[in-house]
Amino acid sequence: MIEVESLHARAGAFELRDVSFSLPPGAWGIVLGSAGSGKTTLLETIAGVRRAASGRVRLRDSDVTLVPPERRGVGIVYQHALLFPHLTVEENVCYGAHDPRYAVALARRLGAGELLARGVRELSGGERQIVALARALAPQPDILLLDEPLAAVDPRGRTRLRRELRALQREHALTVLHVTHDFGEAGTLGNLAILLDGGRMVQAAPPEQLFRRPASAAAAEFLGAENVYAGTASPLESGAGDEPGTMLFRAGSLSLVGLAAASVPIAHAVIRGEDVVLAREHVGVSSARNVVEGVVAEVVTHGALARVTLDVGGLPLVATVTAGSVSELGLLPGSRAVATIKATAVHLC
Amino acid sequence: MSDAAVRGRGTHRVAAAGVVAGAVLLLALLGLPIVALLLRGGVSGLGQLGSDRELRAALWLTAQTATVATLLAMLLGTPLAYLLARGRMPAGALVGALLDLPLLIPHPVAGMALLLAFGRASPAGAALAQIGLAVVGSRTGIVLAMLFVAAPLYVSAAREAIARVDERYESVARTLGDSPVRAVWRVTRPLAGRGLVAAAVVMWARAVSEFGAIVILTYNPKVASVLSYDRFTGEGLDAALPVAAVLVILALVPLLVLRSLRAGTALGEPAR
Repeated sequence: MIEVESLHARAGAFELRDVSFSLPPGAWGIVLGSAGSGKTTLLETIAGVRRAASGRVRLRDSDVTLVPPERRGVGIVYQHALLFPHLTVEENVCYGAHDPRYAVALARRLGAGELLARGVRELSGGERQIVALARALAPQPDILLLDEPLAAVDPRGRTRLRRELRALQREHALTVLHVTHDFGEAGTLGNLAILLDGGRMVQAAPPEQLFRRPASAAAAEFLGAENVYAGTASPLESGAGDEPGTMLFRAGSLSLVGLAAASVPIAHAVIRGEDVVLAREHVGVSSARNVVEGVVAEVVTHGALARVTLDVGGLPLVATVTAGSVSELGLLPGSRAVATIKATAVHLC
Repeated sequence: MSDAAVRGRGTHRVAAAGVVAGAVLLLALLGLPIVALLLRGGVSGLGQLGSDRELRAALWLTAQTATVATLLAMLLGTPLAYLLARGRMPAGALVGALLDLPLLIPHPVAGMALLLAFGRASPAGAALAQIGLAVVGSRTGIVLAMLFVAAPLYVSAAREAIARVDERYESVARTLGDSPVRAVWRVTRPLAGRGLVAAAVVMWARAVSEFGAIVILTYNPKVASVLSYDRFTGEGLDAALPVAAVLVILALVPLLVLRSLRAGTALGEPAR
């Protein structure tokens, strides 16, 4: 278990402020945030290599805020691997291992078996990260902190390594806190996602909830939401059958029915592109609360997917659809289209 | 080609010629005295090593005392250099300034200061004399003078060597179970090793060449630099030249060691 309570830490002029979350034993936590948001500082403070200015760090139900790193039983993998350059790969892997045979077997399992006799300088970036992972796991910690450990690994190796990591986590009931910029990784691996911005924790929630219900417009934009509108919201009149928190949001000529996250002043509506359904004309009766008409302004194809931007009364509305749908519907710039959005897909924050 | 382009090329040539002429002049100023000294006294100095017992004794004494001073500086100065490099030294800026001071004051003045602090009349000097470490006219005085003028060079270079080693290597070592001291010993020491040896070599060379502070504290027994001065004032330039030339040749040894250290792989660089 990793529990962080009102944590403050400094790294030079940078300050990490008021971070709190709880990651249950055996869970996989994801830390998201732009460069300089405090992700590495957070990991270092949990590992104990950086002192907490205030607040508490609890590991396995014990307060370790003042415990030195060598007694925390935490493994850490830095983004740049930081392998000891004066040692061979095998010496690196066995550096902190209680059982060198286990360490070597682990390195082989992660795909570093061929590298053991080599010097660190001969390794590629991806190989270094694999070795750093083996080195951190060799002392058999039950808590693992990962700072973008797969960033330099090639896509095929990354998939394999992710699978091995997942298997190791299950076998050893590891609690993992993992910094990544890969939203796919966040979705597939994480039980809890923590979003940092400018040294502050913006939100901590299951990844699905974080992506669907971001706490702010800035968080939504960072998390890749295509449609973020500034406007005002008012309670919906009808009421019957509506979920609690259903409100009418207005941004210019656009009116949307959506769900408010909490009883906070609403200033933005967030819609993910994949939640926008496109048609050439009205489909008749629909359970969706929002149906808007617009003119196709742009179609950008990325492989099998396409981003279609509609001009809706002067506001852009982006829909992510398959490239096949674009050609089937004949969505060309200048053509008219109808967008359908469920109220539950319009997040008000 | 336009007139402006021709004028530009001409200006460039004049500037290049000026740079080359300046460099040649400076190198001549630095090199000519050394070459002249070696040409006049080099062969006879090396030849004299076999027959001149006083010269051999002075060289041996110089090497011994410089080595002891360097070892003392490494022992006492490396932890200090580490604390300064990692920004963990209380009042680090003040300590840094204090370390620079001996490099800036004239060396005879350093000798006088040492005489005041550790001479027979001072409490510290009296205490040292009680345990057989009298500072004036002794090997202890020579080592002390060498330490005073050259140890700051060691600390400064060692601090740079340690600072070049990414501190996060120690962090990783600690998460792998090392205590702070063990992490420094297993990771930082080998990574900064070449830099520390280079710092020691620089200090040793500086200690060997010291004259001003030593001559105030300990004229006898004579180190090589004092012997060269003694022969110059007592017997003239020709008598001093062989000793001086041997000192120059001796200075080439640390220079070659430093070159070979720098030619090796810089282990202190963090992994990329």
